[in-house]
Amino acid sequence: MSDNKISLGKTFFGGIWDNNPVLRLLLGMCPMLAVTAAVKPALTMGVSVIFVLLFSNIVVSSLRHQLKPHVRILMFTLTIATAVTIADLYLKAFMPEMSASLGPFIPLIIVNCIIIGRAEACASKNGLVVSIIDALGMGAGFTITLCVLAAIREVLATGMIFEQPIPAFTDFYVPWAGMGMPVGAFITLGLMLGAVNLITKKTQA
Amino acid sequence: MSANEKKNPLLYFLRESWLLMAAAIVFGSLLSSLNAAWQPKIAQNEIDKFNTLAGGLLGSAESFETVPKAVPVDIGKGKTYSVEVKKGTDADGNPVGWAFVCEGAGFADKIKLVVATDIAFETVAGFGVLSSFETPGFGDKINIKDGFYQSQFNGTPVTKLELTKIGDPEKVDDQIVSITGATVTSEAVVSIFNTFLLPIKEALQEQNLLQ
Repeated sequence: MSDNKISLGKTFFGGIWDNNPVLRLLLGMCPMLAVTAAVKPALTMGVSVIFVLLFSNIVVSSLRHQLKPHVRILMFTLTIATAVTIADLYLKAFMPEMSASLGPFIPLIIVNCIIIGRAEACASKNGLVVSIIDALGMGAGFTITLCVLAAIREVLATGMIFEQPIPAFTDFYVPWAGMGMPVGAFITLGLMLGAVNLITKKTQA
Repeated sequence: MSANEKKNPLLYFLRESWLLMAAAIVFGSLLSSLNAAWQPKIAQNEIDKFNTLAGGLLGSAESFETVPKAVPVDIGKGKTYSVEVKKGTDADGNPVGWAFVCEGAGFADKIKLVVATDIAFETVAGFGVLSSFETPGFGDKINIKDGFYQSQFNGTPVTKLELTKIGDPEKVDDQIVSITGATVTSEAVVSIFNTFLLPIKEALQEQNLLQ
């Protein structure tokens, strides 16, 4: 029981730090660069990815004993495409402005390597509980990284956060337009990766 | 493969692929149910967005009525774009102008606009952006309502527009001053106007809908 608890905790927090999909595994780079100009779209993308990860891991884990090797990838793709279509329809129906601003990047979750990677590496080999915890941990790791990157870019590009002025900062700050463009995403992500490597090196030393 | 399956390959096929077929049926049913439930809301969202943009451009327009015959517009490379033109009417039912959705290639992706004109289709009432993914800080300035770029189109004659780099953006004429650092986006918007405005005017004239 105790071992099981530790293992679930490790699985969850592993997704946030040790096996962070973006900062350690370098997966999901496309949305990381494309939807991080502001925190709101980044958060929406993160929550969408958590939903797709959960849906995919639950289905794959539940059917793992029935999965034949040659239909495995087809089954993963079918499951992921279904979850992504549900997320896309939901956003179009209930968050139309956000859906329009995210454009093709919600449908593109289908080709996000994190999802199929977790289906293959975790859900197809483990039970339901571990698969759910893995999906939550990986999804949280992806969402947190996405939001941190987006927050840095939004503050530097506009002087605001969540599209709201920051008291005593917005007044004197001169917006840095470059941070709102792709170059800002590349530079910020590069610096974040460098910082994570530095922290890892120091903690291991 | 068992002896039975060798005799009947269909059995082998079913044994190997039943899960995939069952999953396709279940997921397909789930998606069609959700689509049926949410599609009216999605369609209403699109109508609301059009009405908000077009209503804002035409001022007193309260409702929009679609012209029965869609207008096919040649968008080049042998392709046509079918435009649903809508007539805006005020609270008393008086016609106040025309509005339609049109699109063209921008710098990053397609730019989709709502364009409105007066009821005689002589002057442009303005445009609003339905969707665009132009460069933040540069091309996305076309989204700024009442910004210098959008404002130039208010009152512009329905004719072939020209893009210039230098000029007076406050002068109402067929010259549109481009956004600095976003020439491609500025050009794209002007090109959309030039592609759609005159063919739609001609089509409305042919249908005897212009006063």
